[in-house]
Amino acid sequence: MKKEMLLLVRDRIGLGILFVMPMVLIFVMTLIQDAAFRTLNEQGIPIVFVNADQDTLGNRIEQGLRNTEMCSFHNEIDGEPATAENVGEAVKEGKFLIGIIIPEGATEAVENNVMGLVTESLGMESDSTNEGGTAEIKLIIDPVASKSFVTSMTSQLREFISTMTTRIMFETFNEQIADLIPDGTEVQKGDYNNEQVISYSQQYASELTGEVAPNAVQHNVPAWTIFSMFFIVIPLVSSVLKEKQEGSVFRFHTIPASYLLQVSAKLIVYVIVCMIQFVLMLSIGLVFLPMLGLPVLNLGNSYLAIGIVALACSFAATGYGILVGTLAATQQQGAVLGSLSILVFSAIGGIWVPAYIMPEIMRTISELSPLHWALDGFYALFLRGEGIVEVFPHVMKLFVFFIACVGLTSVVNRYRRN
Amino acid sequence: MEQIKSAPVIAIEHVTKSYGEEESLAVDDVSFSIQKNEVFGLLGPNGAGKTTTISMLCGLFNPTHGTVLINGEDLRTNLAVIKHDLGVVPQDIALYPTLTGRENLEFYGTMYGVEKAELKKRINEWLEKLEMTRSADKRVESYSGGMKRRINLIAGILHNPKILFLDEPTVGVDVQSRKAIMQHLSELNASGMTIIYTSHHLEEAEKFCSDVAIIDHGKIIVRGNPSALIKEHEGCSNLEDVFLKITNTAMRD
Repeated sequence: MKKEMLLLVRDRIGLGILFVMPMVLIFVMTLIQDAAFRTLNEQGIPIVFVNADQDTLGNRIEQGLRNTEMCSFHNEIDGEPATAENVGEAVKEGKFLIGIIIPEGATEAVENNVMGLVTESLGMESDSTNEGGTAEIKLIIDPVASKSFVTSMTSQLREFISTMTTRIMFETFNEQIADLIPDGTEVQKGDYNNEQVISYSQQYASELTGEVAPNAVQHNVPAWTIFSMFFIVIPLVSSVLKEKQEGSVFRFHTIPASYLLQVSAKLIVYVIVCMIQFVLMLSIGLVFLPMLGLPVLNLGNSYLAIGIVALACSFAATGYGILVGTLAATQQQGAVLGSLSILVFSAIGGIWVPAYIMPEIMRTISELSPLHWALDGFYALFLRGEGIVEVFPHVMKLFVFFIACVGLTSVVNRYRRN
Repeated sequence: MEQIKSAPVIAIEHVTKSYGEEESLAVDDVSFSIQKNEVFGLLGPNGAGKTTTISMLCGLFNPTHGTVLINGEDLRTNLAVIKHDLGVVPQDIALYPTLTGRENLEFYGTMYGVEKAELKKRINEWLEKLEMTRSADKRVESYSGGMKRRINLIAGILHNPKILFLDEPTVGVDVQSRKAIMQHLSELNASGMTIIYTSHHLEEAEKFCSDVAIIDHGKIIVRGNPSALIKEHEGCSNLEDVFLKITNTAMRD
């Protein structure tokens, strides 16, 4: 173990890869994602609005959009008034993410529909001016915007416009009924408020007592910590291959110590390194990111469970590194095999894109990634506030993966001996 | 009076080693034995099968066919026990460049199970003998080729093995270092250690070895005492002449 420690300490570039690079990675990824999240929330989505209606519906939608934080409202394009003709081009040029056009006569169409419905219901003769019509509200979307983002935004806009339309319909209906009362009785015009009937509340399915809002820190710190811990494979592979190339392995095979004893020092040292990495990364989420105005990482309810998952993850990463180092014949092979396989494991494991939004087949494949097991474990602890019992299956999978890697390494060595 | 020989410390019987295809035999049906306290030189041109033979003898890999017996024990079935008696000085400098000479020796001595205080004593003794005491606490990467070879040798003998395998122990070494290494190897042999040695330095082998075998194309071509071999081959005045006569002068890959 002393030898492994000394080799590691004296390899400054290796130490840089092990500790500095992962910390930089967490900083950068969390800040970027948080900045993107904040940009949309604080500045809003740039929307250009054309109110060709110039009546109740158009005016109310305009008023609503002006007041919401969801978007940054524009009704001019380069100092010129936005029109149905120039909105499409402006969105196409990327000046706005979404263009909204409320057509001329939209309010009238809504009112006429309601009046037509009232007179028809009461068996009265329809006024020719009350004939229903349709109005098409156009949403023009920048094709650069991601599909999930567009779906989310347009559904919110549709809901908002639909609420405005319903409100006008209700008011028109209310007025019509009042006008149609024959004895001139004063009718109180009600105020439409759909929120009085159905209300919504939301909460996160978490054991944590405080509110654990999903945010860039809560998601990114565990994800990139696991990614970095598994990237220990690169220096570990390099260490194994160096011993192979410098002839130490020749000596190892002639030493009367078991293979497990020979690799155990390396395993223990690199597991310790992984655990130090883990603590450093968490400290970024707990101390350094909050200094930059980001939320503090919530560690959940069980520090012991966190330690166990981190230890299992460290063993899995180290075992995998030993295996790759044994399989690879050269440093180049080891570097490519190690880094690419970790990238693939991380991609399918949900580090880059959450597994739950993947297609079904990819979700099934993601179950094969040790990074996914570790990530699921940390999410269970950090986001759902669960404990040792709940993360036990993830821990077992990681330890079995480690045992399989070391076992396979031993088999490969035995095969080569023959 | 007929000399009664004890049981050989190494006996290899009909050993064959092939890599992949059966046609490419690195070692082809080789049999020989080595007596205790012998200095046995395994000589041959590049690619002749020397390193493969040595590797099988020290248990690095198993022969494809045949048996290797060390002190009467089958290497294939009793490797763990046999390894305690073996010392290996590989051709490559099997040391960690970023560790000091002393740290390397401490590591290998510990791996061989030498007790800490005893290990420290042996390390100091050997460093002194091979004039490495002053450089022992410098990193191996700063050593000259000769210094690395000396530490490489010490790493293979710290546990006092009964049988020592030396694969080109003096390659790339200056005359002074070579002389020191060979002198101490002779002393080890005099103390009862059996040495199996490969080298391209035929003059060195002629002086050092009590017995040599010349291997080519995976087969032992000739075996005997160097002086006897020189006498047996007409027109040869040294081992190099014998070697060239037997293996031809055509260069090898």
